[in-house]
Amino acid sequence: MSPRSLKSIGGKVGTGFAITVLLIWSLGPIYWSVVTSLTSPTDLISSTPRFWPSHVTFEHYARLFGSTSLSQGNEVQSVWPQFSAALINSLITSAVATLLTVGIAAFSAYAFVRMRFPGRDLLFVLVVATLAIPAYTVMIPLYRLMISLKLVDTYLGVSLIYVSAFLPLALWLMRSVYQAMPLSLEEAAWLDGASKLYTLVRIVMPLAAPGLIAAAIITFLNAWGQFLIPLVFSPTLATKPLTVLIPEFVGRNYVDYGLINAAGIVAIIPPVLVVLLLNRFLVSGLMAGATK
Amino acid sequence: MLSFIGPRRRHGEVGLGLALVIPVVVIMGGLVLFPLLSTIVDSFYRINPMRPGTPFTGLANYAELMKDAAVQRSWVNTVYYVILAVVLETAGGLGVALLLNKLRHGRRWLLAAVVLPWCLPPVVNAVVWLWIYNPSYGLLNGMLQASGLTSGSVVFFNDPKLALLLVTIVHVWRMMPLTAVILLAALQSIPEELYQAAKLDGAGALKSFRLITLPLIASGLAIALSQSTVFAFNLFDEAWILAGSSLDTRTVMIQVYMLAFQNMKFSLGMALSLLAMLASLLVSLVYVLKVYRETRYD
Repeated sequence: MSPRSLKSIGGKVGTGFAITVLLIWSLGPIYWSVVTSLTSPTDLISSTPRFWPSHVTFEHYARLFGSTSLSQGNEVQSVWPQFSAALINSLITSAVATLLTVGIAAFSAYAFVRMRFPGRDLLFVLVVATLAIPAYTVMIPLYRLMISLKLVDTYLGVSLIYVSAFLPLALWLMRSVYQAMPLSLEEAAWLDGASKLYTLVRIVMPLAAPGLIAAAIITFLNAWGQFLIPLVFSPTLATKPLTVLIPEFVGRNYVDYGLINAAGIVAIIPPVLVVLLLNRFLVSGLMAGATK
Repeated sequence: MLSFIGPRRRHGEVGLGLALVIPVVVIMGGLVLFPLLSTIVDSFYRINPMRPGTPFTGLANYAELMKDAAVQRSWVNTVYYVILAVVLETAGGLGVALLLNKLRHGRRWLLAAVVLPWCLPPVVNAVVWLWIYNPSYGLLNGMLQASGLTSGSVVFFNDPKLALLLVTIVHVWRMMPLTAVILLAALQSIPEELYQAAKLDGAGALKSFRLITLPLIASGLAIALSQSTVFAFNLFDEAWILAGSSLDTRTVMIQVYMLAFQNMKFSLGMALSLLAMLASLLVSLVYVLKVYRETRYD
């Protein structure tokens, strides 16, 4: 064999090895969590780790979703009341935050790109500059503000904080989407007598749909994963999301790892679906947001 | 460009433009800018719901932060997290981006697998890793023992240095995908002809990486570096889930949270969060300037 083809085989093996390592690194922990959630409590405390469950059991999921369940022969209270409330809270706050953020960004980013009004550029720079300010920095005065407005532990309060945290990124993204669109289409519509708003809603937005989807995905994932904000602003089950509830399953002396992994797997279903179904939009959105 | 549109139309445009950005002004002004300004102002007062009055105290909060041993420890930990996380994320992210850029088949699916950890709630990530790190039945201990590296189970979080490293790994697991995606976007913008020309001129892989790739991904690198710095500076979730309020792993953000929401020392927490923000902005600025200066072509 010539040295050249040897080298190319070597390169292929190296690439294959790198891909394998990367896949194990990225997916291994998630796979391990799935296995754990399907393993019976007695098998979990065996001395040797098993890479697949020897007897698949759904008892951890039954404790999340059932009314009561059996654990080692004893009937125990399931966590369904708390779990379902937190699941619904997560869905509502993330959905409201996503709709508001993308709705506001879709209109105002267009104004920042195509309309002239006093203070336009200064305002945009100010808003985007807050990307560098994590919501945590302003959390303490925000807490006092939300208390005085009686918005602590309400869907509106939590969603509004999410909007203020994720709007700059969505604006940045949508501005780069609108900037990349040809002006000629809009000019043609204006010449035909269409109003600016009509042109935006009926002609520009459908064309900007991939960008809008990307902004929605990124906002949703960010809101779904938030922990510190709801830890402060969602003290009770009225608005407490899964991310705050799940760590509460970690007891002081005893951690029910089967239950906590099962709950974690349920909590990652929406993000996993997004990655599987909408990966194209997500990646293009992340790239556009990062490079423009 | 729009000169054919009459002045009347222009006037309407100003009104509509302002109307469309009003929600942005209200939300960002009310929930970010105003709280930021009041953070700055209030950090010079004593604000504590447990004590009467809010007297002006000048720099007393800042002086107290300087003396507090827990605060100092949290700064040291945070600096450690930032350095380690930024180095690991940048090195790993660059490797992943180069690998993905080289692939012709299946890039989309590998990219989906790579991005996945970034998409998951940090809390769930931390919980999953908490189980992996479990001293008695965890995967890490199991693998270490199976490979004969250790005998008996190790309680990893008993070693402060190790604890910091383990928290960082969880953070890197989540944040490296973002660096990889940013750098991949930068790599894809490099025209293929440049590499062919370099090859014709006899440049090896390393040389063309140094002379073509690195300068052309510099701006992406600056963005990736400042992203990872800001996120590492604000590390909270992973450290809180893995080790709670333990001093060994406590970050500045955890310290802020504890000062404000557990000890009710609001203004002390505000002063500290302000310092943390300034520090992370400053470091990001240094990268941006340095990367631009070193790779600029004149």
